[in-house]
Amino acid sequence: MTFKGISTVVARCLSSLELLFSLDRGLPQSRFRLVVDGLVGAVAIGVVATTSVAAQEKPSALGLGIFTFTSGPAAAYGMPGKNAADLMIDEINAKGGIEGVPVSATYVDEAQGAQGVIAEYRRLAGDTKNQAMVAALSSANCLALAPLAEQLEVPTVGWNCDTHQLLIDGKSKYVFRPNGNTVPEFIAYAIYLLDRKPDVKTVAIINPDYAFGHDAAKIFTAALKALKPDIEIVAELYPKLGSPNYQTEISRLATARPDVVFSNLWGADLENFVRQAAPRGIFTSSQVTLALGETVLQRVPLPDGVIVGVLGDGWWMSPDAKANPETVKFAEAYKARFGEYPVFPAIKMANALIYLKAAYKAAMSKNDGKWPTRAELAEAMKGSKVATLTGTMQTRADNDGLVDQIVGVTVKTSAQQFPVIGDMVRYKGDSLMPQAGQDPLAWISTLKPEFARSLPKPGSYK
Amino acid sequence: MSNAIIPLLLDSLASAALIFFAAVGLTLVFSVLRVLNVAHGSLYSIGGYVAASICLFIASRQLNPYLSFAALLFSAVLVAAIFGPLIERGLVRWTYGKSEAVQILVTFGLFLILEDLQRVIFGVQSFYEDAPMRLLGTSSIGGVVYLNYQIVLIGMAVVVVIGLRLLINHTRLGRLITAVVTDREMAQSIGIDTNRIFILAFSLGVFLAALGGALATPTSGIAPGLGADTMVLAFAVAAIGGLGQIEGAAVASLIVGLARVLAIYLAPSLDAVAPYAAMLAVLLIRPYGLFGSVTARRI
Repeated sequence: MTFKGISTVVARCLSSLELLFSLDRGLPQSRFRLVVDGLVGAVAIGVVATTSVAAQEKPSALGLGIFTFTSGPAAAYGMPGKNAADLMIDEINAKGGIEGVPVSATYVDEAQGAQGVIAEYRRLAGDTKNQAMVAALSSANCLALAPLAEQLEVPTVGWNCDTHQLLIDGKSKYVFRPNGNTVPEFIAYAIYLLDRKPDVKTVAIINPDYAFGHDAAKIFTAALKALKPDIEIVAELYPKLGSPNYQTEISRLATARPDVVFSNLWGADLENFVRQAAPRGIFTSSQVTLALGETVLQRVPLPDGVIVGVLGDGWWMSPDAKANPETVKFAEAYKARFGEYPVFPAIKMANALIYLKAAYKAAMSKNDGKWPTRAELAEAMKGSKVATLTGTMQTRADNDGLVDQIVGVTVKTSAQQFPVIGDMVRYKGDSLMPQAGQDPLAWISTLKPEFARSLPKPGSYK
Repeated sequence: MSNAIIPLLLDSLASAALIFFAAVGLTLVFSVLRVLNVAHGSLYSIGGYVAASICLFIASRQLNPYLSFAALLFSAVLVAAIFGPLIERGLVRWTYGKSEAVQILVTFGLFLILEDLQRVIFGVQSFYEDAPMRLLGTSSIGGVVYLNYQIVLIGMAVVVVIGLRLLINHTRLGRLITAVVTDREMAQSIGIDTNRIFILAFSLGVFLAALGGALATPTSGIAPGLGADTMVLAFAVAAIGGLGQIEGAAVASLIVGLARVLAIYLAPSLDAVAPYAAMLAVLLIRPYGLFGSVTARRI
């Protein structure tokens, strides 16, 4: 057996040991885990270090580790991502694979928690068949995996990874996010809200109790205060992620009587909140803004006039999407296979795979048709500009993505049985992003009302 | 804040009602069998899944929607009839007289099995069926719109407390249970079929757990992981009230409900920790719970 093979086996054994003992939170176990972490890391580096020469030859299959939530309340968001990956990979393979190499995916359920996700990442990275990772959905997992990707030198495409903290140091070589991040995503809502409801005085926020919820609240509040300083935040609620019942929170929102209720709840949490809040009049007493509202349009009866968006440009019915035959084909194939149209997490995953495919093409073109190493693949992603199903994705020097932001309100049409997004605006990706390396919150505090006035208005994207 | 007092009280009662249903079965089983059933939360979520499935079936067949109320009760009976005798005879009875650690390990193993069983049968997506909630409509109280279903739940919790007390104090079965709780060996020696009492008491506990899940379904989502959350909360309530105390569970539910609601209204960042802070405060003062009493340990 080669050193590479032995290393892989040892890395797997050590990772399994770590999983086996991961229930114990005591000090001695922590020390044990530290030792195991170090050993696994060292062995995995050994595996990676021996693979560069072999990787120049075209492999028989291209393995991808794809990280998403396939169980738990977050699966309502994660499963559309997995479904889209299945569909895209089938389509890619039907056309001969990526540069002639068929693609196979290994899915990792992020519901097992960061420790398990890290162990799975190491295990997959240790197998040379897996040349790249599409990871992850959860911001917390993305932050946990990013240093590992750099350490193991594995190109990692953050298919969701909203947190603006992911690439903030600008030093990443192997982690890429072909998406927007929390900064442009939530500034977009503040600007749209003020355009649509300029007399807003009071706002209540109900976001999930983890980094994504708190970051979004900070950015949204900072943008509102910068653009309209007299706005008052009258309630900030952070229910536990996965909470099944929001009745008390809804009462609290009702007693605060805010002009606007803003939320970035998602997955089953968002469905539960909408189903519980609608009969209690929250949608009629306040202007509700649901940052991830598009994901539930086909599942729950949202009333007209709710501000919703797609955290990027990934709406399958946007004017750009409808003009793209590939997107129309993808949406119909998705509907035929999974029974509903692709919500934006599905589009994000599909766009991430398109981005990865484009990187292989660019790397091989630069490499005289030879199969790229992991380092060469990562190099090809740097500064790339890729046409996606719903627009264009530009990679900045800090590996962060510039993606347009679409925001609108729910409207009913005769064309669909469910509400769709109308009165839309499409903000340019770079217009809502601070420069690379700039402190996002400090940049937001410099925004002036004139800045918002210079941007396109609701209804301008048709 | 003054305009929030009525909503605050009503929310506390509504929250307490849901918590009570989750906890009372756990405390009843402990009272009779002296077993802390860690799988109790799973039986709660199974009750929810079964109720949601039956209600969805009623909706899909366009049957009379009011049947969904009967479906909530029927699903609890069904879960109790299947799982009560099966678990008690198949697993729990082997742990009688064993150490608490063995009992907890066995029921924890059962919890893991039941959680995976739910994933296999019901999938990983969230279940939601709100027909009973919609049928009852809403009312405006203190300027806040409430679901009439929430108010009905409060009433049902009161009915269950009274019903259980009547069952224990004024029926033959209740007296037999009391005899077994008071002195198991003496009860056996005077001819009480303790095995039958154990099956009935355990099944009643399963029924109450499943009823809690079923009644929660119209206003809450059911998803994997609910069982674990429910179990932890139910244990906190049982510990505050005193393990084995029905009225204790009711009062503890009110305390936990009020603590949670006060946190959401006044200090939202403490929402998750509030029930356990209340538990800590009570146990520091009364380590055996509000209604519990110090008992001599047999050696």
